[in-house]
Amino acid sequence: MLSCERYEMPETLAEALALWTGAPEGAQLVAGMTDILPWAREGRAGDVELPLAIDLSRVAELNGYERHGSRLRLGANVVWQDFLDDPQLAAWLPVMPYCSVWFADDQIRQQATLAGNLVNASPAADGTPPVIALNGEVELCRLANGQLMSRTVRVEDFVTGPGKTTLAPGEIMCSVTVDCAEGYGASFQKVGQRRSLVISVACLAALVKLDASGNRYEDVRLAVGGVGPVPERLRDIEDRLRGEAPDMALIAELAEATADRVGSRSRIDYRRRVVPGFVRAALEEATDRARSARGAAAKKETVNA
Amino acid sequence: MQRKMRGRGIAASWYGIARTATVDRAGAWAELDDGGTAKVVTGVTEIGEGILTVLAQIAAEETGVRPEDVTIGDNDTARSPEAAHAGATRQTYMIGNSVALACREARDKLFAEIAEHWEVEAATLVAFDGELRAEGTNLAMSMTEAVDICKKRGVVPVGSGHFTSHGTGLDPEDGSGRPWQAYVFGTQVAEVEVDTVTGEVQVLGIWAAHDVGRAINPRGVEGQIEGGVVQGLGQALMEDYQTVDGHTTTHGFAKYILPTSLDVPEITSILVEDPDPLSPLGAKGIGEPALVPTAPAIMNAIHDAVGVRIKSLPASPEKVLAALAEKEAREAQKPAAE
Amino acid sequence: MPEIDLSLHVNGRKVTRRVDPGARLLDFLRDDLNLTGTKEGCGAGECGTCSVFVDGKLVKSCLMPAAKAQGTEIETVEGLARPGELEAIQKAFHKTGASQCGYCIPGMVMAATSVLREAPEASMEEIKERMGGNICRCTGYSKIIEAVALARDVVTGRATPDALEPERVGDSFIGSNVRRLDAPSKVTGRLKYAGDMVMPDMLHMAVLRSPHAHAEIVSIDTSEAEAMDGVACAITASDVPGTDGFGVFVHDQPIMARGKVRHVGEAVAAVAAENEVTARKALAKIRVEYRELPGLYDPEDALADSAPVIHDYAPDNVVKHIPLRKGDIDKGFAEAHLILEDEFATQQVEHAYLEPEAGLAYVDADDVVTVISPSQNITHHRHMLSEIIAKPINKVRFIMSPVGGGFGGKEDMIYQGMLALAAMKTYRPVRLVFTREESIIASAKRHPSRVRYRMGLTNDGRITAIKFEMLSDGGAYGMSSEGVMRKAAILSCGPYEVDNIQVDTRVVYTNNTPSGAFRTFGGMQAQFATESMMDIAAERLGLDPFEIRRINMMRAGSLTHTQQELKSASIDRVLAEAEKASRWEAGPAGMRGPERGDLGGPGTRAPCTLGARFESKAEKKGRVA
Repeated sequence: MLSCERYEMPETLAEALALWTGAPEGAQLVAGMTDILPWAREGRAGDVELPLAIDLSRVAELNGYERHGSRLRLGANVVWQDFLDDPQLAAWLPVMPYCSVWFADDQIRQQATLAGNLVNASPAADGTPPVIALNGEVELCRLANGQLMSRTVRVEDFVTGPGKTTLAPGEIMCSVTVDCAEGYGASFQKVGQRRSLVISVACLAALVKLDASGNRYEDVRLAVGGVGPVPERLRDIEDRLRGEAPDMALIAELAEATADRVGSRSRIDYRRRVVPGFVRAALEEATDRARSARGAAAKKETVNA
Repeated sequence: MQRKMRGRGIAASWYGIARTATVDRAGAWAELDDGGTAKVVTGVTEIGEGILTVLAQIAAEETGVRPEDVTIGDNDTARSPEAAHAGATRQTYMIGNSVALACREARDKLFAEIAEHWEVEAATLVAFDGELRAEGTNLAMSMTEAVDICKKRGVVPVGSGHFTSHGTGLDPEDGSGRPWQAYVFGTQVAEVEVDTVTGEVQVLGIWAAHDVGRAINPRGVEGQIEGGVVQGLGQALMEDYQTVDGHTTTHGFAKYILPTSLDVPEITSILVEDPDPLSPLGAKGIGEPALVPTAPAIMNAIHDAVGVRIKSLPASPEKVLAALAEKEAREAQKPAAE
Repeated sequence: MPEIDLSLHVNGRKVTRRVDPGARLLDFLRDDLNLTGTKEGCGAGECGTCSVFVDGKLVKSCLMPAAKAQGTEIETVEGLARPGELEAIQKAFHKTGASQCGYCIPGMVMAATSVLREAPEASMEEIKERMGGNICRCTGYSKIIEAVALARDVVTGRATPDALEPERVGDSFIGSNVRRLDAPSKVTGRLKYAGDMVMPDMLHMAVLRSPHAHAEIVSIDTSEAEAMDGVACAITASDVPGTDGFGVFVHDQPIMARGKVRHVGEAVAAVAAENEVTARKALAKIRVEYRELPGLYDPEDALADSAPVIHDYAPDNVVKHIPLRKGDIDKGFAEAHLILEDEFATQQVEHAYLEPEAGLAYVDADDVVTVISPSQNITHHRHMLSEIIAKPINKVRFIMSPVGGGFGGKEDMIYQGMLALAAMKTYRPVRLVFTREESIIASAKRHPSRVRYRMGLTNDGRITAIKFEMLSDGGAYGMSSEGVMRKAAILSCGPYEVDNIQVDTRVVYTNNTPSGAFRTFGGMQAQFATESMMDIAAERLGLDPFEIRRINMMRAGSLTHTQQELKSASIDRVLAEAEKASRWEAGPAGMRGPERGDLGGPGTRAPCTLGARFESKAEKKGRVA
């Protein structure tokens, strides 16, 4: 059971940082609470007593999202359900609806934040692969001598191991900034023993963009989770495919090679078998969707012309 | 092989009704009550299978009132006669029949009074859906009136009934004996899709044919079949209570995986009736029989789809993928076909 | 205890209360506002029974501190319709027969409400997808989803409101789809289960459970716990006045550990206190000294001479062995053209009823010790408890509370004894509600099985002999093990007439979580092996799976494996019906999947690939993953 001495719901970032900076040992930052409450139970952490819980879900500065050119800044309070409900987000981040629909269930998606998923850095985290495929960066804010300071860290550098990040004492994650991938085709692969509320052994995010002719890959993004202590961007495969025509044989060959990259400590054989299949399937699917996206875009143009 | 492979499998089953290798028993009380209603009291243990509704239907049918007019008393050792427990697929059989007999006794008391009141033979009286009439005449009245008249004549129409199922013990050496007096049979066909990249199996269709003796509430029987099939599916594919040196590693529902609404097949239930000749109602049961053939039907379907036989449950994605890899390796080693 | 001021709207009413900062919204609704329609099925966000609307969005209230609900609008199941009335979704659930035990149903009704608010035109697939966060253990979901689709049709005008009216009855109530009489109380959340019940002056119980699988109890000291403010009593085995021991077949289980503990999670002591928090804190003050003993975890090891003895009365650790012998097994195998040998295994399975165990006990004005609990066998429980607390049978009363799922898991009297003792010690009502984790480790599981199978057949598919050996792990206590072995043996060789049979089923004690009664009582474990063997045999002999079963099936006049003559056997009819309904394409067993023509079509659903809510039909068709 989780018990709290104090539960604060600051409404501004300044308030939140002031509370966090002065927080007693054992205090926690919380947002959706969908990880901490199940964790504070028998069989896992058991009874947990928090001297202070700082709930960030009402901090105004953490709400919403903004596009800046080709980058999209998502406030830390953006929840998983937003990727399903908000057509603008879905259009700009075409991989996120597929990732989101595999994440827990509708109720939990209303409460759980993408930022929280990144900060918890579970090896089974679904959010990290798509975010690193989109060159994700996190903005970490803190108070220094009463002044608001922030630093930006690439998500690939932020997550350092299972449950480990470079979040420093006194820091709050304020936003996650990713590439806008409008016009890309996307795919998210995950394996589970059932089709909802799935904690996965491995997952993979793929985005591809076809060039103007529609015959070559202009861009390929691929990131896999569950093959080691941290999720990985498969840059060598991306580089190999950029500029190439989509070719299932080449993809199959590159996919097979990924089996050797599995460095997990458990269920190695299974992950080694699943990951190549994921790479193939994800690229195939993403390519199909990229084609449809082009087709739809083209139709729009002719209609508007 | 393509990524997704489909196949079908079947399994047949049988099951015994009521307590095993022993004499089973149950008792019930019934009263025809004011307002054309009825009271039934028995040690019924409703655990969701729908037995309360089934008993209301039986009581209604036997007494002439409507099911919604039947009140069933609480299961309370200080207030109701023994009929517990819920298990062994016994309640419709043991308690349904007890209630039927109790209701007949109460009804017979009522009929005796009304027969005299109308000056007809009791055998000509028929009661259904709240109305009582004497066949071959135009005498009719509501059950409300009938109970009122009966009571004014000084008779409270109460009845009691009990039912016995005669099972014998088994011989300690060769197990011979007659453990049950009623048996049911079933067959299920499963259609599955196996994902050869992940090892995941989805069950797309189940056809379940079960002998229930007599279906008192067909929709209720379907509900039991559907629930049993999904429990069978869970055990077949995803559920696994694990312990290491006696300590569980599946402490909650995050680790102990249950089927969700997205995992269930289309289920077609076919109810077959081979009535039981030894009981007033002829009904037998479905609660447990529904679950028996599901897991083997699914395993047989997996074999039909991808040629691997999983012999230990659950057929988790890991097991399926490992079996597929092993099959591939075996086939690679085979000498070239003649 | 620290407190905060909470002010919010619940079902349209303004509510202001002081709450513990750590309390969950779920606890606030249930305990402070008596809105018990919202349930705690698991407390970890996995089952959905706690679903409520917060500012219009459906969330899991077990994952939300009450403090987080400050200033919000909450809607619970009680707020969906006016008292005494049902709105369209609830009526649809009533019509389709969507409720069985009812425990998941308020959460399902809320999820359905959310679906139709967010996506009024949702397809069946989208409905299922949006309800994926709600678990049901009884219904298999079919009639729940049917109800949501029906409600959708009525609300959007595709169906008229009388689609929600009950079916008209013909000339008999037998065979009629009369709607469940307990459905309205379940779809409105008004039905009270044991964990929803409160009595004046009620105490709350918490149970101290063994952290060891096998250990001697050297000493237990409850004095510090008893001295705590708010603790009314502590109990251990030494409080039992009568003959301690319960169990469905053998009374080998004490109501709290006596002398030693035999499995992780076994009850060792319990406290009753003014509230749950105090009761839990008091457990930490109970001092138990254990001396660990070697543990037994594998049923094969249990049979070894050197194995630790779990129960003194069973020095060989065997709970029960059931043998069946019919005909001449050696002759049977000698006659066979084909002999198949194989091994099968099934796992321990958790009942996972959505209602965790709960109960209340009190001593009434006539000194009748009364226990209210969702017990599956109050007759037997009363009998056993009267011996344990040394009271005449009519001074012990068991009342069955509505059962939120059983499946055999609520047959064992694993907590009612403790409640009775605490009620007797304090003369106040005492309530215990298990956490899900507690339920999982303390309650029985389906017996796992290892089967060695030997089957002999003639080339034309007739079974001539079966040798069937099953070994099962019974865990720490007997529970229903004897009966499970008996049923497994009787049903073992399936609905087939076999002249020569040798069946041995055996269950042993270990220090694992006990195995007990679970729907089919050994029947499915045994027949899993048999039906797999039938398929293997069919493949070897080039027979269609239906054909091989027909060749061997029981008929009127057949002798069963226990040599009982059957007066009738409907196996022929169910085989025929299943074959017909599935449009089964005949052919030999084997990997026929790639060639069969009977796949897809009526009776099957499309594979679930997720994304129903945002994918077009065209997109779905092109899916490879």
